Amino acid sequence: MDSPERPTAAPPERGASERDASEGRASERDARARIIAPVRAELRRAGLLAVLAGMIWPLQAAAIAWAIAGWATGTDVLARSLAAALAIGIGGLVRAGLEHRSGRLLFEAADRTIARERQALLLREARARAPEGSAAVAALALQKLPLLQPWITRYHVAMTRVAVLPALLLLLTVSISWAIGLVLLVAGPLIPVFMALVGMAAEAASRRQLAEIGTMNDMLMDRLSALLDIRLLGAADRAAQDFSARAEALRERTMAVLRIAFLSSTVMELFSAIGVAMVAVFVGFSLLGEIGFGTWGAPLTLGEGVFLLLIAPEFFQPLRDLAAAWHDRAAGQAVVAELEAFDRAERVTVVGQGEPAAPLAGPMSLELSGAVAALPARALPLPAFAVAGSALIALSGPSGAGKSTTLAAIAGLVPLAAGRITVCGRPLGPSTADAWRARLAYMAQAPHFPDQMLADYLDPLGEGADPWHALDLARARQVVEHLPAGLRTRLGETGGGVSGGEARRLMLARAILTGGDLLLADEPTADLDGETAAMIIAALRQLKAGGRTVIVATHDPALIAVADRTVEITP
Amino acid sequence: MTPLLRVARLLVSASPRAMARGAALTLVVLLMGAALLGLSGWFITATGLAGLAGIGIAFDVFRPSAGVRLLALGRTAARYGERVLTHDATLRALAALRVDLLTRQAGLDARALARLRGEANLTRIVADVDALDGIVLRLLLPVLAGLATHAVVFLALGLLVDWLVAWLVLLGYLPLAALVLRRLARRGIAPSAAAEDRAQTLRRGLIDMLRDREALILTGTLGARETALLDVERQARAAARELDRSEREAGALLSLVVALVAALALLAGGWLVQRGDVDAAAAAIGLFVALALAETVLPLRRGFAELGRMLGAAERILQDDPGPRARGPAPDRDQDRDQDRDPAPPVPAAGAPLLDWRRGPLSLMLHAGEAAALEGPSGAGKTTLLLRIAGMTDAPADEIRVLGRPPLDWPEDLFRDIVTMVPQRSALIAGSVRDNLTLAGPATDTQIWAALEAMDLAAAIDERGGLGVRLGERGAGLSGGQARRLSLARAILRRPGLLLLDEPTEGLDEATAERVLAGLRRALPETALLAALHRGGEHPVFGQRLRLAR
Repeated sequence: MDSPERPTAAPPERGASERDASEGRASERDARARIIAPVRAELRRAGLLAVLAGMIWPLQAAAIAWAIAGWATGTDVLARSLAAALAIGIGGLVRAGLEHRSGRLLFEAADRTIARERQALLLREARARAPEGSAAVAALALQKLPLLQPWITRYHVAMTRVAVLPALLLLLTVSISWAIGLVLLVAGPLIPVFMALVGMAAEAASRRQLAEIGTMNDMLMDRLSALLDIRLLGAADRAAQDFSARAEALRERTMAVLRIAFLSSTVMELFSAIGVAMVAVFVGFSLLGEIGFGTWGAPLTLGEGVFLLLIAPEFFQPLRDLAAAWHDRAAGQAVVAELEAFDRAERVTVVGQGEPAAPLAGPMSLELSGAVAALPARALPLPAFAVAGSALIALSGPSGAGKSTTLAAIAGLVPLAAGRITVCGRPLGPSTADAWRARLAYMAQAPHFPDQMLADYLDPLGEGADPWHALDLARARQVVEHLPAGLRTRLGETGGGVSGGEARRLMLARAILTGGDLLLADEPTADLDGETAAMIIAALRQLKAGGRTVIVATHDPALIAVADRTVEITP
Repeated sequence: MTPLLRVARLLVSASPRAMARGAALTLVVLLMGAALLGLSGWFITATGLAGLAGIGIAFDVFRPSAGVRLLALGRTAARYGERVLTHDATLRALAALRVDLLTRQAGLDARALARLRGEANLTRIVADVDALDGIVLRLLLPVLAGLATHAVVFLALGLLVDWLVAWLVLLGYLPLAALVLRRLARRGIAPSAAAEDRAQTLRRGLIDMLRDREALILTGTLGARETALLDVERQARAAARELDRSEREAGALLSLVVALVAALALLAGGWLVQRGDVDAAAAAIGLFVALALAETVLPLRRGFAELGRMLGAAERILQDDPGPRARGPAPDRDQDRDQDRDPAPPVPAAGAPLLDWRRGPLSLMLHAGEAAALEGPSGAGKTTLLLRIAGMTDAPADEIRVLGRPPLDWPEDLFRDIVTMVPQRSALIAGSVRDNLTLAGPATDTQIWAALEAMDLAAAIDERGGLGVRLGERGAGLSGGQARRLSLARAILRRPGLLLLDEPTEGLDEATAERVLAGLRRALPETALLAALHRGGEHPVFGQRLRLAR
């Protein structure tokens, strides 16, 4: 087919992974505006609930410390234990409730965002095709968009918690022991500094991983579609090796992302562990009386010591959560970068909407004058010709001259760069294209059968029309009768299950059943033996005799011979 | 659950040593975590007691404080090692599984290959395999390590503190956590499976819509298809929402279990201290360890929430496995592969023709450099005959001999070096022209240009920018006739002994068809050609003509 698509430049996603840091920063602002701003209210409320939940632990810790101090001195042992146990239980209940609620808000926020982005993709991609393969688009919509969820649900809550909880716990600590407060103060802020350093590496690694996911999907899809060829070429082992290299590359890139995440969380944990260990040792020595400084006068009591030990890990926890969420943010921003690169991709836009429309009024007429098809890489001049009423027109010319593109442009599948196409006396444009297409049927050159039953394939409008008449006319009755499942058969993507000639006759039957008074047929007699080709030619003439206009792109001399007119296309 | 266990075994057996080390480290992390908090709690309480008693000087502070530091650092290091080891081993096993699935598909017979739908297999190899990573990482390892940790902690608490505390912690955690997780598994299994199923349907549907977009636009049904897909998308999200609710509930319940056990440990500690059975420092160990064990249950919720997704994926992947290779000619070929490793590969009988075919009164014999046209009406079985010769479908035992042996008796690798076939609906791939031509093996630019020249395609490719020019999905960017000639050039580069062509000149105008057939003969003077043709069998290239009747 003189395809309306084109040899493409390298997919933008490859470029996206190599963009420089300044562009990366610009994309951060865009990313926040696009993903975070619309759900800011939910995030703020969820963050508030999470902060409240974090404030419960110091209360529980105080109760525990008070009980243990009682154990040591033997005062009200059981009563204190019971009270502290109740505090733990009730505190746990409130905390679980708050987190549950905050989780729901976050889920809603993420769900809404992903739904919005995914629906936008779904509604755009078929109307304006980008150079990316269909499998890469599907991977973006189903595999990569969900990566926004952890970013939305974790990062902002972690930020809110970091803004409040460490300061609060530090204040509590300092009010008891300024020395331990100092320990926390030194160990704590190192975490965000380190985090920022790691974050940049994490985002680059995430982008590379995402790019590899897209590449692997596209490659696999193509290889799977070409498996028969690959096998017949003796290339199965090589294809497996190629794919193995891709799968391995994906593993490496995933591991690179994970390794940064693991390493950074290990470092965070290390700071936290050292901090807590220092607190424990310092408290121990103070209690033994070996360290006499660090408090505001009176020596540290056992209860205070236990309390400090219990809240020290919680001082670090929000910082560690933030560090972990930093990676989610990096992955999320990599997804946004890819979405934006995708938004900017060069696209071939279909003329019109592809929606059902009442057929364009008026007698059938078509005229191409000075029309130039706007293929992405080049502009292809189309032949000038006019046709009205019932006729059989043959477009012929050497391979690659633009026969299929002419048919595609007539159907409004390819936009024009210049000139115009007049249909039923009106210019073919966005407002007329759907109504124009309602009057025509199209038979493509390359067989492609969607994943549906033959009955549904033959009757795309679901009008419940009887397919047998059209099958008879296309000489395809026997084809269907020989299939074990008949009209309930699901054919392979390129018509696996029937021969090439049979697939073509099924396509013609579909075009006939679609109705309309203009039939565009691309190589209708390809893959057919002389006898069957003659029958198909007879069928086409019969359609013309029935009042239809038939335009065929063909090399077949027998078909050209019966045409009312031949339009010669020169490259 | 059996599929999960089978997949778990598959993943673990891929690198058992790394998995074993990872599992050991997982256990070490949990145990060190419990020991760290227990020791710290004991240490502070004990120092407090010593301080109160005024015997601070006699207290050995160095060993416990060294222990605290060791546990803190050791745990951190162990966690890093555990994560890297188990993730790396799992990802390796999954990458191998993907390749295995593709290889399995490639080994199918012709009929199965032609009916194969790319998008369905894609979701199998990508999405289903992705879903399996949690089986080991989020279920098997954490559950086993958690159970082992509880066993060790039970003994330690019993010996160090009191059996009452040990039993409370064990019986508080295990049955309650098991109940919560069981509830999550039961409630989550349907929405989790549904969410994955809908997501895969959406992925396939999206690919199908994009590949079929022209037909959808032409029939004005694009909007309807989009609406249908949006509907599937909503179903997927509804299932995800239900799952999220179950998961959050389980999370809340699990944290309540932790609070409950900690409260019980505190009460028991107080009671024991009151009775004078243990001192306050030992009693504190129970409480602190109970708090630390939260780490054994809280992370499990994600693995259990994914159960339905993992189970479905495991079932689909195992079901695709034909087991003892039951389909088509595959078993013979597999045996042949094994024989291939024998020291004596099959040697063609001396002077045997490249192709010797007989069926009833018809027969055909092709030697090197000869060419035959295969003619007959549509449906006469031309394609089937070519596929039989190419060893892609079963044939009657004595119908076909290639170099003296039936095609299916040949080892696959050796056979594909001798016989190449260009099928009727030849497929190109996304990538450069060079990528397409070197699909089967490397070739120099000189060889590539020579093959393109022979197919009358060199000028057109040159004009587009040479061998590096990128084609879109399924080779989009070339006209039908150009794509046909590119796949012929690809076959020329294989330099086969016997080349089978199904409608090589379809979609070509007469002048180009003429040049292509002549170019083919010139480029491969030693090759035996057999071409199925509807038209053009009278071309001088063909020394013989064979006509099949319907």
